[in-house]
Amino acid sequence: MATQRNLLSRSLQAAKSRYRYHQSLRRISSAAAPELPPFGYEPKPYSGPLADQVLEKRKKYLGPSLFHYYQKPLNIVEGKMQYLFDESGKRYLDGFAGIVTVSCGHCHPDVLGAIVEQSKLLQHATTIYLHHAIADFAEELASKMPGNLKVVYFVNSGTEANELAMLMARLYSGNLGMLALRNAYHGGSASTIGLTALNTWKYPIPQGEIHHVVNPNPYRGVFGSDANQYAEDVKDHIDHGTSGQVAGFIAETIQGVGGAVELAPGYLKLVYDIVRKAGGVCIADEVQTGFGRTGSHYWGFETQGVTPDIVTMAKMSDEFDAITVSFLSLTTYIYQGIGNGLPLGAVVTTPAIASVMAQKIQFNTFGGNPVCSAGGLAVLKVLDKEQRQKHCADVGSHLIQRLRDLQQRHDYFLVDALDYSMSKL
Amino acid sequence: MQRIFAKAVSARGSLSLQQQHGCLLFSRKLLQKFLVSTVVLIWSLTVMMIYNCCGQLNLVDGKMQYLFDENGRRYLDAFGGIATVCCGHCHPEVMDAIVNQTKRLQHSTVLYLNNAIADFAEALASKLPGDLKVVFFTNSGTEANELAMMIAHLYTGCHDIISLRNGNHGNAAATLGATAQCNYKFNVIQTGVHHVLNPDQYRGVFGSDGIIYARDVENLIAYGTCGRVAGFIAEAIQGVGGILELAPGYLPAVYGSIRKAGGLCIADEVQSGFALSGSHFWGFEAHGVVPDIVTMAKGIGNGIPIGAVITTPKIAKVLTHRTYFITFGGNPVCTAGGLAVLNVLEKEKLQQNAYSVGSYLKERLTVLKEKHESNSSETLSVTFMADSGSIDFVIGDVRGRGLMLGVELVTDRELKTPATVETLHIMDQLKELGVLIGKGGFHGNVFRITPPLCFTKEDADFLVGAMDFTMSKM
Repeated sequence: MATQRNLLSRSLQAAKSRYRYHQSLRRISSAAAPELPPFGYEPKPYSGPLADQVLEKRKKYLGPSLFHYYQKPLNIVEGKMQYLFDESGKRYLDGFAGIVTVSCGHCHPDVLGAIVEQSKLLQHATTIYLHHAIADFAEELASKMPGNLKVVYFVNSGTEANELAMLMARLYSGNLGMLALRNAYHGGSASTIGLTALNTWKYPIPQGEIHHVVNPNPYRGVFGSDANQYAEDVKDHIDHGTSGQVAGFIAETIQGVGGAVELAPGYLKLVYDIVRKAGGVCIADEVQTGFGRTGSHYWGFETQGVTPDIVTMAKMSDEFDAITVSFLSLTTYIYQGIGNGLPLGAVVTTPAIASVMAQKIQFNTFGGNPVCSAGGLAVLKVLDKEQRQKHCADVGSHLIQRLRDLQQRHDYFLVDALDYSMSKL
Repeated sequence: MQRIFAKAVSARGSLSLQQQHGCLLFSRKLLQKFLVSTVVLIWSLTVMMIYNCCGQLNLVDGKMQYLFDENGRRYLDAFGGIATVCCGHCHPEVMDAIVNQTKRLQHSTVLYLNNAIADFAEALASKLPGDLKVVFFTNSGTEANELAMMIAHLYTGCHDIISLRNGNHGNAAATLGATAQCNYKFNVIQTGVHHVLNPDQYRGVFGSDGIIYARDVENLIAYGTCGRVAGFIAEAIQGVGGILELAPGYLPAVYGSIRKAGGLCIADEVQSGFALSGSHFWGFEAHGVVPDIVTMAKGIGNGIPIGAVITTPKIAKVLTHRTYFITFGGNPVCTAGGLAVLNVLEKEKLQQNAYSVGSYLKERLTVLKEKHESNSSETLSVTFMADSGSIDFVIGDVRGRGLMLGVELVTDRELKTPATVETLHIMDQLKELGVLIGKGGFHGNVFRITPPLCFTKEDADFLVGAMDFTMSKM
């Protein structure tokens, strides 16, 4: 009886939403489409291959698994700050920033200057020799970290960073079991595919000892925003699925690929405690959430009031180009990046944990090369100089307010929009 | 610890359980702190020892085959940022391509089209034989090898990968398993990896008989696996392992065994590719084989962070079963740089240069090997006084191909005892003379010479001269 009443009221609600949606469509069709804000920059003339030619070559030489957006894929040939330009010079507002990567802005003059200058001096020699760029960048990065997170390892991507973090966790703890959240994304190599918990990304290969716990998803999760219940699941996994001792726990504070899902408030504090009691280390995957993008804090994990043992980062180097809105929170999250698009990643941890790497030789040929380090340092300076974190908070709040208005006006549409999870990215 | 505790007990009389545990905890914390600082200290000392000379060098500038330190002193770069800088530091054409593209568009991802990645993939594919036409871009050699191994697992449905002892393929989970030198292998689980006998022509038990070494692979498949394998991965010339060229006849025989067992053959060209070996563009070509998957990095971009995996369309299809995506992979700047590298290699005929200068250098090094052998006194070796007394060494072996050369130092020609300390010393002296050279081999006693391919005969003369001078002084 109660179920039937429930079903009936749900269908009534859906019908009302559909009516409101069609009403709003009628209102929209009579209004003019908004225009891009003015931007005093003309792209350089483009005389290279056109979209069709490029697509042809991609299909032939770049493998069938390479995918693109849009029915008619976009040939993007130039970028300037928050805009991208196609082959015909048409300007687009970049709301995705090369997937939460271009933080300062495409071809930001300060970052560009640093990269070009360093490229003219020395691109690469490796860390078997000294160079100030890597040392200066490491120092600056470490200064942004709380607690004893002072030792930096440079790698070339988020995947490499998470691989290294997992290795450190296993060596430091002496245990093997890793805990990761369902719906998370941590990378595309063999081990990080194990941590990643979205089946569209998981190739059928051995995963090693990984336990995927219930996702503390306030929107779709079975416990809503109740962090305690979700944390219980972690303890349950440890008690029943492991020896009682684990290597570590890894999570994004806001799941990126998983659809901008913010973890239920208070979740990380509870889980960090449980994991540490079981001998594990806590890894914060800040590949998408770091560098002031949340507006309220420099690092995503700070919004949960915790200090991890290891922090991984990549992507973000350029200022906010992408704005991802959490429909369940008043804070907007604007993704930033460590190198503004340069292939750069990093792992920051404590001296005690870092010391385990001294057991053997660990070497990354490209990691910390002068050009990427110089670019990374320039990014940090731009973020500070231009007060980008504050800007994220301001513009982000404004954006989320506008989106909430949109939600009111287009009830039916937004219910569908919220249903859409980023199955690809 | 027990003595301390016992003393504490006797001093205070019997302790309550809490006090006892408190005592132990206090000591344990102190001990932990002491252990951590000791480890860090040992680590620093080890790093300093391993990178003894190079660790003190602050290099701030590079031009072609030279590097400059903070005082503006010039050094001959005989290591090429570890076989990476192939065209030359800050080569004008490569640099222009990178700078121009950086000013236009650094990054947007492959979600959008851009001609740089497509043009580079096409040019790269044209360098490979057979059906090796599909390119995946990564950010490093490790990522490339990880992907290659995953593709092999997926394509065959099998779990076992075979790699060579003394090989080095990377430092992520799967590649750490395939890597087979204990100094690099952290103590973590490695599943499905089997390490076969290394066809080492200098130290191997079967000398240069590639066919006999290949039998070890057949044997292992028959006894150590279900009879079907995912694949085999090897460097045609082991780089980190000390410039060891695989014994002739080995790869064709092994490729046969692996394919019979349903596996894929992966050629790790991260160091030996891009004309470094002089005689061929790819290291595997010198062995007369065509792999199923080729991985590359280092030289591909003259130092810019990029790697690639090239395979056949049929094999590449396995990645369509799920989503595979690398955010930075194939970005416009790195691919523009890569294309410029290919153009420079061709235009400046750097492969021919690697062959001619490399052959010349190898000859001179061989003469050096004989010189110091014949010049030596009654002990048939060169002696140098160290704090611990006199130590003998000889050049045990000069090997390699093109500008990928190795010089192995031993204290005894028969026993081939590694002359590790001497190697470090000579490396340091060479730096003082203005030559930067690399080091490798399982025992750290092999000079690795992998300079930018614009290396000249004059540079070769200088290198050999400096070595000669150093060894003679010793």
